[in-house]
Amino acid sequence: MGLKRDVSLSSALGYKGQGPYLTYILHRIGGSALFIFFTVYILSLVGVDSMQALMSNWIFQIIVLVFGLFHAINGLRITILDLSPKLIEHFRTAINIEWVAYVLVAGFAVFVVLQNAMGG
Amino acid sequence: MEITVKIFRYNPEKDQRGHYVSYTVEADPNDRVLDVLELIKGHKDGSLSFRRSCAHGVCGSDAMRINGRNMLACKTLIRDVGANITVEPLMGLKVAKDLIVDMDPFFDNYKKMLPYMINESPLPADGRERLQSPEQRARFDESTKCIMCAACTTSCPSFWASDEYYGPAALVAAHRFVFDSRDEGASQRLEILSETNGTVRCHTAYNCTNACPRDIQVTKAIGELKMAMVTGKLE
Repeated sequence: MGLKRDVSLSSALGYKGQGPYLTYILHRIGGSALFIFFTVYILSLVGVDSMQALMSNWIFQIIVLVFGLFHAINGLRITILDLSPKLIEHFRTAINIEWVAYVLVAGFAVFVVLQNAMGG
Repeated sequence: MEITVKIFRYNPEKDQRGHYVSYTVEADPNDRVLDVLELIKGHKDGSLSFRRSCAHGVCGSDAMRINGRNMLACKTLIRDVGANITVEPLMGLKVAKDLIVDMDPFFDNYKKMLPYMINESPLPADGRERLQSPEQRARFDESTKCIMCAACTTSCPSFWASDEYYGPAALVAAHRFVFDSRDEGASQRLEILSETNGTVRCHTAYNCTNACPRDIQVTKAIGELKMAMVTGKLE
């Protein structure tokens, strides 16, 4: 008797886990974006025209950069805290620093892509 | 103040699936969510089911999802959650009735951690206590605070994916004994924790740390276990 154990994607995403949980979700999205990027990249190397066109599309480049860079910077934060468990109690500070670093790096990267797209 | 409480309802004898029922009641901002649930059960709908025991944040019976987040109903004030409150059962465990979940998988995982003192060495010469310094005691002090409410485990995305994962509460129980200088079962427990459903499934979402009503640094405790497994040192 009783309702089956069932955690849907919507109820999981709806959990109010605050900032750290947001980085957890964005990390997964970033990983997926990198997977898509590598697939498109390899297919473009093979010579698939549509994939080559996608690779040079500035919107695609920005999406991959925004999510891929988050995955990289968040991964770095996770690695540092994993290697120093004593620092884990300062995870909120670590996440705030991560956001600042991310906005600076991603902002610069997007600026370069946009500048290239406008100029080109 | 008048508040609206939307409660998840499920009666296994009548319902195929759960649904929500809203109740409007008068409450004081300093009332707790548990008080409001008691009020609804006592005056509006006696069929409402939920667990409660001590009602003072010690027994851990009344953990539930309040406005989308795991909390103890007896420690959550109305003024902190507002006039529109949604109360749901913990996620990742079967719902037995209304806000009551089947805690068996949770306690099964807890038992796997061998949550008791293991020490086969002879007693000290005086035949009395196995002494411990304040520093040695402080090493695992935080993990002794766990009240087994399951708020951490049922906020963990890895546990949502599979209840085979031991979950944060069980890992905190392991931490409590692994770092106890009087215990001799650390290697046994670290062996269990190195299995597929052990610490490797913690992806540091920190939901557990945020959900813990006792403010235990759950993710830190798991991190220390991970480090002990890698280095073999219990420092």
